[in-house]
Amino acid sequence: MTPPARLAPLALLTALVLSACVSPAWDDHDYALKAGKTAASAASAVRFARSAVAYRDRMTGPYAEGLLTEAVQDLSSVNDQFGGVQPPSDASDGIRDEVLRLTEKAESEVEELLIQTRRDGVKDPAAAARELDGLASELNDFAEKHK
Amino acid sequence: MKKLVAVTLGILTAFGGFVDIGDLVANAVVGSRFGMSLAWVVIVGIVGICVFAEMSGRIAAVSQRPVFDLVRERMGPRAGLVNLGASFFINVLTLAAEIGGSALALELVTGLNYLLWVPPVALVAWLVMWRVKFETMERVFGLAGLALVVFIVALWRLGPDWGELTTQLVRPPQDEGVPTYLYYAIALLGGAMTPYEVFFFSSGGVEEKWTRKDLVTARANVFVGFPLGGALSLAIAACAATVFMPVAAEPDSLGQMVLPVAQGLGKVGLGVVILGVFAATFGATLETALSSGYSLSQYFGWQWGKYVVPGRAARFHVTVLASVIVATALILTTIDPIKVTEYSLVFSAAALPLTYLPVLMIANDPDYMGQKVNGRFSNVLGSFYMVLLLVVALAAIPLMLATKAGQ
Repeated sequence: MTPPARLAPLALLTALVLSACVSPAWDDHDYALKAGKTAASAASAVRFARSAVAYRDRMTGPYAEGLLTEAVQDLSSVNDQFGGVQPPSDASDGIRDEVLRLTEKAESEVEELLIQTRRDGVKDPAAAARELDGLASELNDFAEKHK
Repeated sequence: MKKLVAVTLGILTAFGGFVDIGDLVANAVVGSRFGMSLAWVVIVGIVGICVFAEMSGRIAAVSQRPVFDLVRERMGPRAGLVNLGASFFINVLTLAAEIGGSALALELVTGLNYLLWVPPVALVAWLVMWRVKFETMERVFGLAGLALVVFIVALWRLGPDWGELTTQLVRPPQDEGVPTYLYYAIALLGGAMTPYEVFFFSSGGVEEKWTRKDLVTARANVFVGFPLGGALSLAIAACAATVFMPVAAEPDSLGQMVLPVAQGLGKVGLGVVILGVFAATFGATLETALSSGYSLSQYFGWQWGKYVVPGRAARFHVTVLASVIVATALILTTIDPIKVTEYSLVFSAAALPLTYLPVLMIANDPDYMGQKVNGRFSNVLGSFYMVLLLVVALAAIPLMLATKAGQ
């Protein structure tokens, strides 16, 4: 094998590993795009949590609990990943505060619903579904604004 | 009923190709992000796999030898070794994902973490491959996988806007980039035409002792099984396009993927779909593990197959067992089975010409096929697909890197 051919698998592996990493924000625009994607991912997780609450009577217990657990994990991962990105300037601080306020609120609300589900079930499913709907819409609006 | 039972090999193989763990999630993701705009890829995949599976079934029935056995003889040991290396690597990767998929289905039922289910699933799969007759195995898991038809029922119960779904067929969403669209097109085609399908299908034909008299059965398997698998993958995408797309939710797990069935059909539907998912992924586990044994044994000329007692095919069974152990270890590292399968789909796409070129060549060789060589229609279609698969193979890895695996 020629040297470049020998290096090809290593280069491919490196590229694959790098493609899975969270990259830093290069400027304010890039940071805003990342914030938008974070909001979209969080909105998606909230929608699944909303379905677990709204359609609880159509699901088995372990399944509904699994959906909520996944939503909590997804939201926690979204918060950790975006929280680890350094805002490039003061101008990005506002965006950071806004998106983290929404995503952290989403995480804590879904976590609370998971706790209720594991005990006696969600106390007021209709109200919880409405609340999650509103939160998902706010997150989606933010994501649309920062596309 | 007898006719349905006769096509279980095709159904089991097609489920491995169209509705294994990777396809289940890939179809749901595609439906949620692109609506039905990638349905054409599934159709292209169905036609492609039918063309090549028909050839490999005919090769098995006429020569009573499976495709891989002939690849080395016809193309030489070096070309055969490249083919073996690529398909064996993808097989083990896919096997790991399928074991993880079966364990995830059990997690949905029990609430116990899927990692606890991985060793029992692997053990039972090995026991089935060791003890259960090939025909019994294909009938049980092929027919149980039919439970996935529940996606079609759920779609009807969800009452989608059929006009909107039809419009999506020709109108991709504007906010998704062209490279991402093409990346998912390649992943879907890679899933539909996974290399192990033809090796398993032709080896299965030999296990069932097909002869020239069974050509009709072979063709029935192809033309019933694969279109059925394709129809199910379209139904999964349509369910996702109906439930997830309007609220911009993107499923990334098995639990989220079956949500439309729960919404449409309630607890009974949920139970049936989980049974179907388990049967399809467990069936694909058997298929990929056996394919590992088939390809290695056929390349080296060892006695292989379940039609002989295990003692007479010891190296074949050791290969199957070793593949199961390696795949189980890979999944127990806590690597996400869904991610494993997403990557394996793209690697499959990159290896497609290596698999299908030898099939096309052997199906045209009168030394093996006598008068049953390809007709003009098969050759025109086969040649068209070879060009397409070459383009797909060249584009697969660059697109995966450029789009960060479709993000």
